[in-house]
Amino acid sequence: MSPRNRELLFLLPAVLVTTIGFATIYIREAERLEWASLSYGGIFLGLFGLVHVAERFLASQADPYLLPITALLSSLGIMMIYRLNPDLALQQAVWLLVGLGVFVFVLIVARPLARLASYKYLLGLAGIGLLLFTVLFGREVYGARLWVRVAGIGFQPPEFAKLFLVVFFAAYLADVRELLAVSTRRILGIAFPPLKYLGPLLALWGLALALMIFLRDLGTSLLFFGALLALMYVATSRLLYVVVGTGLFAGGATVLYQLFPHVQRRVDVWLDPWADVQDAGYQIVQSLFALAEGGLTGRGLGQGFLITPSGRTLIPALETDFIFSAIGEELGLAGAVGIVLLFFIFVWRGLRIALASSDDFVRLLSAGLTAIFGLQAFLILGGVIKLIPLTGITLPFVSYGGSSIVANFALLALLLRASHEATRQEEARLEAAVRGPAPENPVVVGPPAGGLRGLRTEGRGT
Amino acid sequence: MERPLKRLLYFFAVLFLALIVQLSYVQVYAASDLKNHAANTRALDAQMRIERGVITAADGTVVAQNRQEGGYFLREYPLGELLAPWLGYNSLRYGRSGVERVYNPELTGETDELTARSLLDILTDKPKRGADLQLTVDLAVQRAAVEGLGERKGAVVALDPRTGQVLAMASWPRYDPNQLDERWEELNQDADRPLLNRALQGLYPPGSSFKPVVAAAALAEGLFTPESTFTDEGRYVAGGFPVTNYGGNTYGEHDLTTALAKSINTTFAKIGVALDEQLLAYARAFGFEKELPLPLESAVSKLPEPSQIDTAHLAQIAFGQGQLLATPFQMALVASGIANGGRVMNPYIVEQVTDFHGSVIEQAQPSVWLTPVSPSVAGQVAEMMVQVVERGTGTQAALPGVRVAGKTGTAEVGEGGDHAWFIGFAPADDPRVAVAVLVENAGGGGSVAAPVARAVLEAGLAR
Repeated sequence: MSPRNRELLFLLPAVLVTTIGFATIYIREAERLEWASLSYGGIFLGLFGLVHVAERFLASQADPYLLPITALLSSLGIMMIYRLNPDLALQQAVWLLVGLGVFVFVLIVARPLARLASYKYLLGLAGIGLLLFTVLFGREVYGARLWVRVAGIGFQPPEFAKLFLVVFFAAYLADVRELLAVSTRRILGIAFPPLKYLGPLLALWGLALALMIFLRDLGTSLLFFGALLALMYVATSRLLYVVVGTGLFAGGATVLYQLFPHVQRRVDVWLDPWADVQDAGYQIVQSLFALAEGGLTGRGLGQGFLITPSGRTLIPALETDFIFSAIGEELGLAGAVGIVLLFFIFVWRGLRIALASSDDFVRLLSAGLTAIFGLQAFLILGGVIKLIPLTGITLPFVSYGGSSIVANFALLALLLRASHEATRQEEARLEAAVRGPAPENPVVVGPPAGGLRGLRTEGRGT
Repeated sequence: MERPLKRLLYFFAVLFLALIVQLSYVQVYAASDLKNHAANTRALDAQMRIERGVITAADGTVVAQNRQEGGYFLREYPLGELLAPWLGYNSLRYGRSGVERVYNPELTGETDELTARSLLDILTDKPKRGADLQLTVDLAVQRAAVEGLGERKGAVVALDPRTGQVLAMASWPRYDPNQLDERWEELNQDADRPLLNRALQGLYPPGSSFKPVVAAAALAEGLFTPESTFTDEGRYVAGGFPVTNYGGNTYGEHDLTTALAKSINTTFAKIGVALDEQLLAYARAFGFEKELPLPLESAVSKLPEPSQIDTAHLAQIAFGQGQLLATPFQMALVASGIANGGRVMNPYIVEQVTDFHGSVIEQAQPSVWLTPVSPSVAGQVAEMMVQVVERGTGTQAALPGVRVAGKTGTAEVGEGGDHAWFIGFAPADDPRVAVAVLVENAGGGGSVAAPVARAVLEAGLAR
């Protein structure tokens, strides 16, 4: 089966889940909702169908699982938002539409991906600019300054900055990775690469971090750090970077903890939310109550205690940062683990794309995008279930929030494009191998017994 | 670059596995602790969202309703203290009692029949609501009972002896279920226990109000007739213990009817000794040592252990002392059993349960609980009890133009003064209302309890 037909097949479960979900919410909340809501599932997936068709033209050989996973995550998200606040769900639907538009747009312009690499400094500067812009004009929400209002629409520039910066780092590292991997001098017995190549990297890293400190947002800075460490490690295969980077971060975090009561409070609440269940610990404690209420199979869609009779959500930021708690209550451990697994499959497919790529930039880009995506999911999921301190970031594709949705669809487009190019390169290589070794590219790979078709869809299979 | 990528994947596998482990811990392992945590208001929240059914009195007067505040329903009792022994309370903080507790599944719509219906309601767009209850309480009788008792510790019970329909239940000290949360500490710490429904939960020595049971047993066993004669010398020694009459009176020669009318202890002590263990059997046949067939919280009326029974004990029991303990409700059942030709009906407090659509899902069906004596024996005892009111100790229960049957009781207690009792029914020939009155430490049954009983009987006859 071709990747696109496979993708279409896997979109079907998402159609089913969305239709059943909306019908359940409608039956439960019939007084509040309209009959039209029953068609939302169909409309929603019609849109994914259109994007799927666009993909057939723009990235026909791309991974078939990522779009269905995204569709499932977004449909679970919009269903939950709809159940909590139908008005917000309508806005989320608009953002989804914009996100799918941006997805197609990115597929068109990022052709071939190498084009992005040539704009790396421009993109890096754009990323920094976005962060700077946020520092200057941002508004504080829940202690972090992430929101900027432009023409009446609020958005979160860091969501986009993370994409630009990952593209920059991937491109830059692709250029200098060999030089970085070679150590030229030893300091205290540890071999270090030439500072010349490390310099710009460290500068940008430090700048991004400094901005993060000004934005007072622990979660986003942790994301950048983590994604960059992952990229450095993948690019150089040297664990030294991970060790030094983690040390740097630990030092930075300690300083942050000492300097900012905001950060201190977050950590204290994580260590013991029960000390102040009515105020500081309220959000996380209520999140745990919601999860406990859900138990194994959940209370059922629309049947949790998520909305107080006065119409407010029981947990502040329930539609955004805490959407997973709502899912945990209404869909139970089964639904919650399902979401976790969907994110893990996403990460697995993303890293497979990186493995399959023969181009350094494409490989690093897909690894970086996957890492930042996976980390973001882990940080917020771990935060709301009290595995790690809570940081205010969105759950990709699930949380309410235009910037998050749009940025993550752009991320998905880049990944799928990378996947398409990786498969194409592989095919070209295999064809060359079948025809006989080409003098300028002496790769000898014999086709396995399964034949070429299997290889095409499965990538290199390492 | 392949090794680092694979390691990155393993790293993520570990992270996401940690998520699943923590999720399982929170959602399954620690779930019940979290659900029961003091700061978790979800259970309360769920209760407050339910529109409980409305409770009405027999005449349709609303006695428990809801007030909506935000999306929450708060319970209101328009008649305040009047029906506290019936309704109990429905507190989010302190739980429930009375009808609010016993009929909670119906009131919240959680019974099987109601859930089946609410599923239909969901499909047909109907909001969820609990079922309505119609109590058997007659507000006029209830008011007569409450006002008759006044602010004296004690209890009053009235029922229709023909059906078992409970007409009134009063208990003092009482409380206002509207103010339960505010006054909980105070009510709970009060040594007089205002939260206790004395009509059902109070256990008292019945004193001479127990004598109709003894008389019925004697007649049923064929040992004596109402005309059997006895001689009272003011003192009778049974098993080494002397029995005397109330007030130290001596009555000389008299028949059984007079013995009941004047409440002559020595005569009843002799009957008790003659009945031997049959006395206890008849007490059981009238409902002693049995759970009351009522859904409300109630105490079981007690007889002495069979091993403790000797002649002295039998003599004491025969005039309601010894280790005999009865609830006012049990004594009302004794009165109504005699009134109803020897058949004690199953008492009931809810006439019907109606669901949200107005269809009746439960309707009270009168049925016989116990048959301690035959109709002829019951008739003879009833006639003797008429004499109590006409020429004996119970004259203050008399009503003009109505033959009232009754029996007074003045139960001796260790300290604090005698308990005043009166049990009775009217009209004697075709009883429509039976009553039991108990006033703690208040003195003689004839002077204290009989007037209360008269007021309640009068209200009951006006139904």
